[in-house]
Amino acid sequence: MVELIRRPTTTLRPIDAALRSSEPWWRVVDWVLAGCALVLGVIGSLLVWSATRTRQIDLGADPRAYLKRQVLNLALGLVLGVIVAAVEYRALRRWAPVVYAASCIGLLAVLAVGTTVNGAHSWIALPAGFEVQPSEFAKLGLIVSMALLLAERRRRDDLRRGFDVPLALGLAAVPMGLIMLQPDVGTVFVFVFVILAMLSVAGVSWRWIVGLVALGVVVAYLSVALHILKNYQLDRFKAFANPAAQNLDAGYNVHQAKIAIGSGGLTGTGLFQGSQTNGRFVPEQQTDFIFTVAGEEFGLLGAGAIVVLFAIMLWRALRIAGHSPDLFGRLVAVGVAAWFVCQVFVNIGMTLGIMPVTGLPLPFLSYGGSAMFANCVAVGLLQNVQMRNAIAPLRV
Amino acid sequence: MNERVSRLRLTALTLVVLALLSTLFVRLAYLQTIDRASLTQTANRQHIRDVVIPAPRGQIVDDRGRPLADNRSSLVVSVDTSALARQEDRGAAVLARLAGVTGIDLGRLRHQIIACAPHVAKPCWTGSPYQPVPILTNASARVVFAIAEHRESFPGVMVQTEPVRQYPMHAVAGQQVGYVGPVTQAELASRGTLNSDDLVGRSGLEQTYDVPLRGTDGTQVVSVDNRGLVTGTVSTTAPTAGDTVVTSIDAGVQQVAEQALARQLATTRAKTDPKTGRRYAATEGAAVVVDARTGHIVALASNPSYDPNVFIGGISERAYEALTGPNSNDPLVSRAVAGQFAPGSTFKLATASTILTDGQATTDSHTSCPPSLQVGNATKTNYDSESLGGQISVAQALAFSCDTFFYQYAMAAWYSDQSRVAAHHRPVEAMQAMARAYGFGSAPGLDVPAGEQTAGRIPDRATLKQEWTQNRSTYCANGRRGYPDVTDAARRAYLTEIAKENCTDGWRFRIGEAADMAIGQGETTVSPLQLAMAYTALVDGGLLYQPTIAKAIVDPSGHVVKTLTPAVRHRVPVSQALLTYIRSALTFGNGLRPSGETAFAGFPLDKLSIGGKTGTAESYGKQDTSWFASWAPSDHPQYVVVGMIAQAGTGASAAAPMVRKIYDGIYGLEGQRAVLAGGAPPSTLPAITPYTADGAQGEVVGPDVPQPTSGESPAITPSAYRSQRNRRRRWSS
Repeated sequence: MVELIRRPTTTLRPIDAALRSSEPWWRVVDWVLAGCALVLGVIGSLLVWSATRTRQIDLGADPRAYLKRQVLNLALGLVLGVIVAAVEYRALRRWAPVVYAASCIGLLAVLAVGTTVNGAHSWIALPAGFEVQPSEFAKLGLIVSMALLLAERRRRDDLRRGFDVPLALGLAAVPMGLIMLQPDVGTVFVFVFVILAMLSVAGVSWRWIVGLVALGVVVAYLSVALHILKNYQLDRFKAFANPAAQNLDAGYNVHQAKIAIGSGGLTGTGLFQGSQTNGRFVPEQQTDFIFTVAGEEFGLLGAGAIVVLFAIMLWRALRIAGHSPDLFGRLVAVGVAAWFVCQVFVNIGMTLGIMPVTGLPLPFLSYGGSAMFANCVAVGLLQNVQMRNAIAPLRV
Repeated sequence: MNERVSRLRLTALTLVVLALLSTLFVRLAYLQTIDRASLTQTANRQHIRDVVIPAPRGQIVDDRGRPLADNRSSLVVSVDTSALARQEDRGAAVLARLAGVTGIDLGRLRHQIIACAPHVAKPCWTGSPYQPVPILTNASARVVFAIAEHRESFPGVMVQTEPVRQYPMHAVAGQQVGYVGPVTQAELASRGTLNSDDLVGRSGLEQTYDVPLRGTDGTQVVSVDNRGLVTGTVSTTAPTAGDTVVTSIDAGVQQVAEQALARQLATTRAKTDPKTGRRYAATEGAAVVVDARTGHIVALASNPSYDPNVFIGGISERAYEALTGPNSNDPLVSRAVAGQFAPGSTFKLATASTILTDGQATTDSHTSCPPSLQVGNATKTNYDSESLGGQISVAQALAFSCDTFFYQYAMAAWYSDQSRVAAHHRPVEAMQAMARAYGFGSAPGLDVPAGEQTAGRIPDRATLKQEWTQNRSTYCANGRRGYPDVTDAARRAYLTEIAKENCTDGWRFRIGEAADMAIGQGETTVSPLQLAMAYTALVDGGLLYQPTIAKAIVDPSGHVVKTLTPAVRHRVPVSQALLTYIRSALTFGNGLRPSGETAFAGFPLDKLSIGGKTGTAESYGKQDTSWFASWAPSDHPQYVVVGMIAQAGTGASAAAPMVRKIYDGIYGLEGQRAVLAGGAPPSTLPAITPYTADGAQGEVVGPDVPQPTSGESPAITPSAYRSQRNRRRRWSS
């Protein structure tokens, strides 16, 4: 990353573009990024297995049922990721409005026919027990369409730049508003973070950035003061502010999560050996609190390695952004990086007791198909941009 | 320009990412290293539970290793509530089948496995919610087979063998062995090593040696899940079985003594008392056999007695009433150790020792033995007003048991003491001092609880004064009121008279009382054990032992932890020559024809020489108490045997014949089979069958529960569980 920062902005990469274009695809794919995603996906499957095993046994069900489905999710996700990576770069731009529109329709559908889990109306039940969470795909839609909007407007100098931001915000407002209605504050927070990161890197005036942050604080304050947030959401924040109040459900979750992680120690109890996990003391452990399984059973070495894997992944994403010759690719990469870092920090942070409890999954590790597909597609997008970088190196 | 801004911001974003991930890492490391201990502690507090595995109680065995108390294997059907709760129907089907097999009402069964809590009605489970709930103890083989053969139909049901206390010889030495009962809250608070399910010795040796018998309970640490259901075993500490208490009681001699006592009681009850004209009541009796060379107890028989097995698993109110109620005749009380009776002429051992040592008489002096004698205001006579003409020696007086002979010395001593008292000197009270030297008037210190042995009573001036000061108001009140509750007019008059007398003169040690004591009458009382220890002192050279029943404590692996030998309390202040003189006077076949000899007519004294003293004690409103204190062989005594039968007439007619039967049994005389080869108690400790440590741990093996070790599931065959005495084993079904 240091290397990235110091790179002179005007330097052409010393590799001939024509030569690069003839490179076989395996030479230009970011294998480190792909490897990190795959390893995290495999670790996640193991953790999901451990978290669900004892309950499945008690129910007399297949103890590997969740493992199998998560492995299937991962496999399907890989296929999706490869497809997205292989799409022609220009096609991405063409498809961006379609993805945006589709995700908005999905969010509308969830409000109409969705099911409620943990207070959020976020899922659409499909036949055969499958469920879709459109807000996961909405993140992709937002990133691609916003990258397109900001990059397209920057190229045309006929319009005043001042309209960039309102337009982008308008674009984001539709899916955000729909998600607010579910309500899913966590995802909205991810949206805000992604938008801020993309606007920043798009080069909009710092006044806009500061103003938006200020607006966010005011809105957050008002939503608490005016009781716009639901009770369970307030509880989570109260529990965060006062962890000793364990009678609150959210406080109980965090308390149990911390116990699980703390009792893992340096090396952990070993897979399937965690008493917090086997005793099912941590609620939602295979989804939102999956990191506690790693903390308890793999210890600091294992859980720390997961954080490091995320760090490497984000480094690769930001590196791809830095190497991107056009603003669209850069903004896509920045959007994905902002999305991932936001979710990683909020999710792991809540299990460590430093962030409030929100229903955000941990990328690649939490159980769930929609999130896995969206994450894999996002990595596919990064690979797409990366290969484009290799073919048409950075220029100003 | 735009590109520069973009790059700068990208760099800033990178720094933000770095900061966020670093925060996560630092926080993670903090929780897992610095904060780890307290979090782990909290974790253990919420998912670790201790379950007590009771230690098998040690055995109590006789001198040859025959168990007086041990454990039998009881088959217990238990329900693992954690396993049931995990079943789809929460165990409803299994419980229904179980109710059918065991015959327990289904509603009751459902209720009794619920852990007790403030809102839970009884019956409920009072034990730990983390251990299987026993629903049927002493399960029949039919029930066990029904469950074992269809294990698949009974997931979460287990059959285990549990050690249950039993007293295989039933009432034999029952009062000395004692019994166990549930621990009390107070004991739990004061004795840290006890657990709430424990049984504690409540009487006899079970109480005295409770600590070594108890062993050390084991612990099974189980993990539980968020619903409190057991998910597995974390660790198991096997219990250590209790030590075995080896006693000096010989079950053979004990049985001989108990049988002789019971038969003599029956025989005596069939006879008519010439004094009252009624049949003898023969309400109670005791026999004591002491190893005269060591002071160990060989047999302690008492009638009535009881079978300690009635206390196993909790005694019913009715059964307890039968043992303690007003018509029970108190079978829990050992007459041998806790019974107080006037010893009659057997007490002349102390009287003769007194006059031979305080200078009033010598082995050569002679005194008269008149048929009657004026003592104070009363005329006291010899038994049946008999008399020996002329002057007789102390030896003759002992053998003939002449009361008037000893009265004269007692009166002289009393007058002497009275003049000392008048001169404000302390009275000598030589007879009381000698009595105490022989162990009368103080508890013998037997190794049974202090409340189960009596000190007897040796009255003297100071004691009487003290008691009178304390009880005077009661005496006087009773004297005024005159016992309106007592229906028998004669008895009422007698009691009123006594009360009035006590009110005014109760503090006085009168000459009549001194005379009574000389012949073991009146207020002088002893227990058969005390008398036996006094005669042991007579025959073992004057050593007064603190008797013990236990001989050794042996740990489960067979090592002797402790050897118990009776301590010598002191030596009686009587010279060897005088002791020999007294013994010789009372030895049968020596020509003096001591009073007990008639009861041994036809006894092969050539095979076993015997010495002994009879006693016949009068008791107001009751028939005479029959005593016989003896030893054998008379030249080098091995045993002291004391017999006592209340309301049974003379010593020679009841107690002595009973003691004769005991000698017959021990030595195999007069057609009996010897219970002790050569008549000697075993000199070595018996081999104790050691406990097997395996299976002593009650590992829970249930369905769905990961087994901590290679959980064995022994085939259930009748012989398999018969062979599992002292073991505790569970197997899943």
